[in-house]
This record gives sequence, structure tokens and C-alpha cells, in this order.
Amino acid sequence: MSVAAPDELDARILAAIAAYELSDEAFLALARELFAYQVAHNAPYAAFARAAGFDAARLPERVEEIPAVPAAAFKEARLAAFPASETAVWFETSGTTRGRGGRHELPATRLYEAALLASFDRMMLADVLRQAQDETRLRYLNLVPDPRENPHSSLGYMMRTVARERGDGADGWYLHGDALDVDGFVRDAARARADGVAVCVATTAFALVALTDALAARGTALSLPDGSRIMETGGFKGRARVVERAALYGAASERLGVPAEAIVAEYGMTELSSQYYDSRASRAQVEPRVKVPPPWLRPIVVDGEGRPLPDGVVGAIRHVDLANRGSVIAIETEDLGALAGGGLVLLGREQGAELRGCSLDAESLLARRG
Amino acid sequence: MAERGALRALTAKRIIGFIADAAERWCDADYAPRVRATAAIEPRLGYTTPVVDYALDRLFFPVTRHALEAAIASELGRVDALDGVVEDRTPPAWARGADRVTIVSSDTTIGVAIVPAIFALCAKCDVVVKDRSDALAGAFFETLAQEHPAFASAARARAWNGGEDAEEEALLASSDVVVAFGRDETLRAIRARCGAGTRFVPFGHRVSIGRLTREEIALRDAPALADRIARDALLYDGEGCLSLHALFVEAGGETLARAASALASAFERVAVEFPGGVRSPQRIAEIASYRNLAAFRAAGGRGSVFRSADATLVVDPPRDEPPPLLPRVLPLIAAGGDDEIVAYCAAQRLPVQALGVAAPDARAVALAERIGAVRVAAFGSMQAPPLGGHHGGEPRIAEFVRWIDRE
Repeated sequence: MSVAAPDELDARILAAIAAYELSDEAFLALARELFAYQVAHNAPYAAFARAAGFDAARLPERVEEIPAVPAAAFKEARLAAFPASETAVWFETSGTTRGRGGRHELPATRLYEAALLASFDRMMLADVLRQAQDETRLRYLNLVPDPRENPHSSLGYMMRTVARERGDGADGWYLHGDALDVDGFVRDAARARADGVAVCVATTAFALVALTDALAARGTALSLPDGSRIMETGGFKGRARVVERAALYGAASERLGVPAEAIVAEYGMTELSSQYYDSRASRAQVEPRVKVPPPWLRPIVVDGEGRPLPDGVVGAIRHVDLANRGSVIAIETEDLGALAGGGLVLLGREQGAELRGCSLDAESLLARRG
Repeated sequence: MAERGALRALTAKRIIGFIADAAERWCDADYAPRVRATAAIEPRLGYTTPVVDYALDRLFFPVTRHALEAAIASELGRVDALDGVVEDRTPPAWARGADRVTIVSSDTTIGVAIVPAIFALCAKCDVVVKDRSDALAGAFFETLAQEHPAFASAARARAWNGGEDAEEEALLASSDVVVAFGRDETLRAIRARCGAGTRFVPFGHRVSIGRLTREEIALRDAPALADRIARDALLYDGEGCLSLHALFVEAGGETLARAASALASAFERVAVEFPGGVRSPQRIAEIASYRNLAAFRAAGGRGSVFRSADATLVVDPPRDEPPPLLPRVLPLIAAGGDDEIVAYCAAQRLPVQALGVAAPDARAVALAERIGAVRVAAFGSMQAPPLGGHHGGEPRIAEFVRWIDRE
């Protein structure tokens, strides 16, 4: 197979994104081309793939065969299929239990933005866009890193893009480092109500806990305008306080005046260019919810030997993301989940963890090291 | 209401005798309470039967009259110092046992509370153990009560329910000594609930490391040594505080890789005796991720990875990274000498419990002192500490007594 040019690949991926449709055969064909491109241009990935028995001459026959780098590999090497001088934007991956951070570099933003907007439109804004032909714009109140303060936060970049492209221009940012500007949020929520503009609160799970705790401490219950919604993302890793999702959504619903079914969990990673969202069908209940990928993103759940597991069996999650054209197509995580009809049910780390023996574990060691 | 101080009517030697007799019954693998305990431990921890059997043997075989008396005498001078004033001390003194000792085994090690309970009972204390769901301590206490009825009130076990209750609050607040096992946050919480005058003896989670000198590196020519290292790494799936969590080797490059290859063969052999237990999906995912990351590095020419049975050896992981602390995963870290080991432990802030070496000599003791370890052990015995050893650097019985001097 000859190696496609990056513009050619981008065009095909963008077409799939625009169509929001990709058959299994088309996905595999594009995945193979992308793999061939990346092993030609991404030396660390090529070496890893070669050790797994694949290269440009021996391409994976199935999506499940595509060598998946562990997410932590982004901390070990520059995993990019283009020269460093061509990096348009990069996102900082969080430190994991191993402690170091890394970078996910992009050669351009159009693929990334097209992918995130296409998913966001369908999973978060379908009712708005259907009703108003894009004329009704939400106001985005963001409890995620402010991109002006943290330009390398993928979550901040994502919400800045969404707010710019889909917002009413009055977006607000309330998370500054670990500090939450509750006063600012309450003030802007009241203003949105006065303006009659529905809001989308984009928040990390932990920031939502902090917000609902703060509102409860004040005895305040906001009533966000009709049509408002919450996009919640991220878990509680490394946080002292872990809140069950049902309790969190209950508190958020009570304190913000948003029905629980309008609270939607997004699941993404800095190392990916695409995101999962709670399926619409599963939003009627808080647990379990099924995360659905866009057509150009496929989850695979594997056992400890990397073998694919059938629906319903818990294992580690791999992602094959065609929008990761400039980096690595397949990423392996330590996140646990089970496939469910093409979607994914996530199992929180705390649910899968065990404690036995008196040896220190990695997270406790990190806590000791501060 | 249980009778208080029931053991005070007995001499320490008689108490020791009853305890040794009870332990001897538990050495029999067919002893019904042990069979029941084994059946309860296996599903709780996921360890295989050979591992649980080994653990129970290791727990009870060393509990002999001689070993108990020797351990007590080494700390108190004489066993009968527990019975009253002994005259051959200056000044004459009585090692009077505390009235009430509470032991909280809030982690999941097999029978971790039993050894301190035994020594507290030798000191004639009333002992309450907050027991795990397998009820091992409670079952052993029942055997003790069969040996002498005084133990029925002196040694009691309470079920661990994972939470807190009023009775437990009162127990901790009123105990003279509280021994606790667990994570840092658990220990802090227990300490906060103790009375102001309570003697608190914490045993936090720790790691253990090993060192192979350049003279010992030829493991292909020393399969027995390789097997001993493998045993220290694989027993209890490497999840004990005395398990081998990282091996520092005074070699690099090909020499290190050859040592790893020899160790991988040893892992295969030892895994037959100590097969791996059941693991949670989370641990499986973490192990796979660590191994794949090492494979990623190896593909780039940094280090190598060996799979052996269900274990993993990772050669030459990054120095700025802590040991993985994952079941049956052993990193082999190249070290130019003891200074590098000291620097690594300091940089990673490793709370080191034991140092495993081929020869526990003066150099090893010096290294242990520098890295904060409290035990130097020969490979193969890292997870088999002697009964009279200072686990966690603590005395075995001295914390359970107060000295009354007669001047």
C-alpha cells in the first residue's frame, strides 16, 4: 500500500466527520491507510508496531490488531507524524500514577475542531440545532481550565472552541487553578436567567462537586433557564473526595435546577481527538449510562494479554481514533469498561480497585511524595 | 461483660505454653478451623491455596515455646519479668502488661494481627482484635480458649465492618495500647480516635527492595540464588510490605539483560510452587499498561521486558520513575553502587521496610541504615521474618508493658 499524503487523509477523515457515518469496511480501510501513514512518519510508533509484528508491508487485517500505545507513552517520546517545527498546538497530558506529563501535538486544528464540534452538536445540542437552525445559541459557563490561563489544556481548548462556534458570546470561565469562582458563576447564572438565555455548564466532575457543595453551604439553589444543560467530564482520580455519580447528579439537579437527564457525561482523553458522550437513550437513568463514540472512533475492550473481549465483559479500554491523524491512531488506557452494543459502559477506577497486602501502592506513594 | 485481666492469674511461661500448643494445632493443615479459615481467605484475597497454606505455615510454625521465650527475654531480660519484680535488674523491676490492647488490622494481609496479639497476651493484656472477614484471629482465639478458659475473655475478636461505631470509639479511646495496620490515611484516622495517653503503634504500608552486587550478578551460574529472589518477588503476588518490589543490580546493558533472563527462568520455576492469584480488572489493566509501556521503551532501544509465567520483569526502567508496585511485576534497576540506590530511594521517597541481599553483611547493614530500612534479609527469606524480629523496626512485646521500678 502506498502511503497517502496528509492532506488526502485529512480530507477523507473530514468527509467521514461531515457525514457522521462510516461503515465497518470504510473504517478499517481508512484505519489501515492511517496506520501506514503513521508508521512511515512517526518513528517511535513505527518501532513499537514493528515489535508487535506490523509495519508498512504488513498492515493490520482487523481494527483489533492495530498496535495500541499505552497513553503513558506520550510521556516517553514525541508521538507525532510531523516535524516538531510544524506543531500548531499541543495539549499537556496529565501526570498519571507514574508521575510525568507528556504532550499530544497536532499539526493543525481543523480535524480536531471538526471532530469535537460534530460530536458536540449531535450529543449536546441536537435539540437546539434542530429547533432553531443554529440561531439559538447557548451561553457557556465553564468550570474547566480557562485557556487564557492554561493554553495547553485540551478540555479548555475544546470548550473555548465550542463557546466560540456555538455560544452567544457571553461565555464565562470560573475555574482558576484549583480555585472555583463561585460568586462569578452565581452572578452570571442570574444574568443568563435575566437575559432568558439557556446555558451549558461545562464542568469537571470535581468542580461540579465543589460548586454544589458551595451552593449548599450558602443555602442557594439556582434555577438555570429552561433548556439549560450540563456537560460533565472526568473523574475523581487524585482527589481526596469521591462522590457517587448518582449523588452528584442529584445535587447538581437540585442546586442548579437542571433535570438529571440534561446532565450529560463526556468521556475523552488528551491523547485523543474525539470524545464519547452518554447516549440519549441511557440518559433517563444516572447509572449505568452508555457512552457512544462518533463513527470515526471505535472502542475495543481487551484483557490483560490485549485480546478483545466480547460485549459485557470488563477489561481495559482501547480507542481507535481516526481523527488522531497527526499522532497515533490507537491508544490503550487503564480505564475499565465493557462494550455495550457499540457503546461503552465505563467502570470507575475506584470500583475496580482492590486492596490486599500491606505493600504500598503507587497512588499512596505519589501522595507521600506530594 | 468479659472478665478483666483474666490472664493475670497465670504465669507468663504457662501463657506461652498454651499459645504454643494452640499454634501447634494450627500447624496441621487438616485442623478444621484452619481448613475453614483457608477457605475464607482464598476468596477474600484471591490467593491460591498453596500461597494461603504457606502463609499459615509461616504464621504458626515459628510460634514455639522456645521462640516466644527467646523473643521476650531478648527484650525484657527475662520472661518472668512479666510476673513480678525481678531482682537481677538494676533497679529491680516488673514488666507489667497493659490492661487493654486493641489491634486494628485494617488492611488485608493474612493474619497480620495475630503475632502482636500473641505478644500482648504473653504480657497478660486483654486483647481485642478488629478482625477481617475471614475471622482468622477469632478462630485462633477460640483454639486458645480451648487450651485455657482465661483466653475466652482475654482474647476477643470483633468483626471488621469497614466503618466506625460507638463501641469501637469507646474501645480505641480506652485502650492503653493501639496497634494498627493500614494506609497512612487509615492510621491517621485511628490515631485521632485514640485517647490522649494511648500508646499508638502504627504499621504503615511499606516497600522492600533488593540488591545484587556485581560479584553476584551471574545468576545463570547460581540458579538457587535466582530462585530465592523469585520467591521473594512472587510470594503473596509481591503485595506484602516484605515482598521484593524492586531489584537493584550493579550492572547494565547485556549483563543486566542476562541476569533478567536467568531470573525469568527462575520465575517460571517458582511460579509452579506459588501460582498467581486472582486479580481485579483494574490491576490487570495497570499491569498490562506498565508492561506495554516498557515494551514501547524497549522498541525504542531503552531496556527490555521479560514475560515469565504470569509475571513480568522490566529491565532498566527510567530512574525518575517509582517502582510499579504491581502484583508479580519486578523492575530491575541498574545501579552503579549503593550511593545510587540511596539516591533513588530518597528521590522516590520510598518507605523501605526490608533490604534483600545475597549476603547480609556489614555493607548491607550500612545500606539499610542509609535507606531507612529496618531489616536486612537474605534473598529467599525476605517474607519470612523471625518471630522475634523487630517488624517495622518496633519491639515485639516492649510496647505492651510498662516498667515498675522498685528502688
